[in-house]
Amino acid sequence: MYKWFLVRRYLHTKLIAFFGIAAVMLCVAMVLVVMSVMGGFLDTVRARSRGLHSEIVVDNGTMQGFPYYAEFTEHLKKELPDVVRLTTPVIWTYGIFRVPRTNFTKPARILGIKLEEYVQVNDFERGLHYDKYFPGTTHLGGQKMPVAGFDASGRLLLPEELESAHRKWRESETDPDKVAEFDRDPFAKTFYPDITPMIPAERVFAVASAEPGYEGPELPGIIVGCDVINYRRPDGNFDRYYARGAQVALTLMPLSPAGNPTGEPPIAMALRYADDSRTGIFEIDSLAVYVGIDLLQERLAMNVQPLAEGGFTKPRINQLLIALHDGVDLNGARDRIADEWTTFRATIEPEMTEVEASLLQHLEVYTWEDLQRSFIQAVEKEKVLVTFLFGMISMVAIVLIGCIFYMIVEKKTRDIGILKALGASGQGIAGLFIAYAGAVGVVGSILGIGLGCLFVWNINGIQDWLASLNPQLRVWSPEVYSFDRIPEVVKRADAIWVASVAVLSSMVGSIIPALIAARVWPVRALRYE
Amino acid sequence: MPQPILRARNLQKSYTMGRATVRVLRGVSVSVEPGEFLVVMGASGSGKSTLLHLLGALDVPDAGSVEFRGADLFSQSPARRGEYRNRDIGFVFQFYHLLPELSVLENVAMPRMVGLPAWKWGSLAKAARADAAEMLERVGLSERLSHRPNELSGGERQRVAIARALINRPALLLADEPTGNLDEATGGGILRLLGAFSQSGQTIVMVTHDAKVAAQAHRRVLLSEGVVREAALTVSGPRSVEPIATKVGL
Repeated sequence: MYKWFLVRRYLHTKLIAFFGIAAVMLCVAMVLVVMSVMGGFLDTVRARSRGLHSEIVVDNGTMQGFPYYAEFTEHLKKELPDVVRLTTPVIWTYGIFRVPRTNFTKPARILGIKLEEYVQVNDFERGLHYDKYFPGTTHLGGQKMPVAGFDASGRLLLPEELESAHRKWRESETDPDKVAEFDRDPFAKTFYPDITPMIPAERVFAVASAEPGYEGPELPGIIVGCDVINYRRPDGNFDRYYARGAQVALTLMPLSPAGNPTGEPPIAMALRYADDSRTGIFEIDSLAVYVGIDLLQERLAMNVQPLAEGGFTKPRINQLLIALHDGVDLNGARDRIADEWTTFRATIEPEMTEVEASLLQHLEVYTWEDLQRSFIQAVEKEKVLVTFLFGMISMVAIVLIGCIFYMIVEKKTRDIGILKALGASGQGIAGLFIAYAGAVGVVGSILGIGLGCLFVWNINGIQDWLASLNPQLRVWSPEVYSFDRIPEVVKRADAIWVASVAVLSSMVGSIIPALIAARVWPVRALRYE
Repeated sequence: MPQPILRARNLQKSYTMGRATVRVLRGVSVSVEPGEFLVVMGASGSGKSTLLHLLGALDVPDAGSVEFRGADLFSQSPARRGEYRNRDIGFVFQFYHLLPELSVLENVAMPRMVGLPAWKWGSLAKAARADAAEMLERVGLSERLSHRPNELSGGERQRVAIARALINRPALLLADEPTGNLDEATGGGILRLLGAFSQSGQTIVMVTHDAKVAAQAHRRVLLSEGVVREAALTVSGPRSVEPIATKVGL
């Protein structure tokens, strides 16, 4: 009993114990921060990777794409209705994104999608900016530029379609803070071409002096990656310089089914900036733009084309995204879809041209994990490595605890003698110091978890504050780490694991001093004052 | 004739100090009868404290034996010797040796804590605290229960040490110059307290070099250069064989 009693008393009264507690606290906080940030990084990679694609992706790995996707989709619907929930085709190519009448040009990865299907197979909709406040108004079809105007009382108004969509958002938004945040300054976030050409803002609309309405010719819509068209502020938010519906342009080069340039001049497309998208992965948000698949298919000559020898080509796509029903095993579904592809391919074998056969030769079925495996595994290894390295550094704490407890034993030699004179055994004395170290570990771990949690939960705020003092202190660069924000989640299991290891390490660190204490001969400890 | 409660036979002990070996005890035999107040006298360096430490199993002799109620202490396990120190004897030191972080009450209760596993403490803690408080009342410190040792005078500290030594109702009290660090008046108070416990039947072995202190004892042993030079009765012998716990109602 005396062990626990004295441990509690020593914890309160021994200043030197606070150094041990501080060492454990800092080590626990350090390892927890590393594990949480790296773990959050890994989880974000997984979640974002999952949200980028659908569960299953069919791809032949070429820019020319592959034909027979519509027929295969029908085949899947018929053969695997309990597995396949939805399919949607995707075309991608590379081009140049421009804003006319400015010198704004950027390289772009252009994706042709069916927006209404695409948002059902992945998390794309969650990252749409205007669609959040004006739900249902973002589309890739023909559209004019929406222009805000004024009502009779001078209040700024958007066209009715947008006002109505916004009312719908307000009614459905469950978080009053978000509505309040919108209401605080809705009109300052407006693009006034006549007053000042550029006002950094979040929700930007052009303004006319008359009634609200639409301006300009009807052009196909384009959704632009948020880092392509906007300026990212140091705090991670964006300044939008272009009004919604502003005219932009894409230039791209069509390829023949064999993969050669068609010889035609590059194609320029005029489009309207319908929305911007934020997946949270910088490589995507700084490169990707999204247009309607029919438009891109036509411009890339991947639609039905007449053949010189008569007949027509089959339309082509680059990827077929497949969403599964809930609860369907991912890898099992991939294997079954691959089997169905083999079966389907046999049925179309007789009618395939030579080029089509070559495009279908390397068609593969992937899960989203297959596609991201190399990236995820790299991050997993990085997490293990960094945690290991910081864990090794934390081993210093064991040595420190050893030193501190050696000093405590030296200082408490007389107490050890007293306790032995009162009947305490050597084992009991060793247990006292190991329990004392364990208590130091427990208190240090609790404080370390608290400190680590506080740090992780506020890590972006801390970085923003440091960056406000000196931009060079911004350590998390979205260009380097893919994500625009540092992960801020501490997992309970990580905290328990780190704390357990810390307590155990503290106890291990105290073993040698505890054994020295156990061997103290009472008469020598008590002989003199 | 009563059987000795403690018997030391031919105790030898030497210490190495640098290159020199000092033979402190050169074959000391002494026995203590129940209820006896025995004083061990001798000049500084005569080996009296070493003898007391061996009798209290705080040290191990180079040769010889110490029997407590007929059982040789040094042929027993260290754990059993720990039990002996905890239950069968109580030690009072010249320099009090109280634990500075603990209150007076906690210091006195400490031997009880040492002797009990944590799972038994819960049910016995209240009784232990009550016993400690009662023992402190016996030594006249009932007003000082929550004080720390550094808030007490030397005499008060020694009273706490005596209360601590007797909390487990030991058969034998070993006192190593308990007045050696106190002024005459305060030392006199401590001697009167020990005398009262002796009167009540507590067996006491006390080390001192003060002849006036030795006059309180039933018997005295004079050590010189590591051997017993003289053993003399100062009074007619022990008057009781009962331990103090019975006599003072503890």
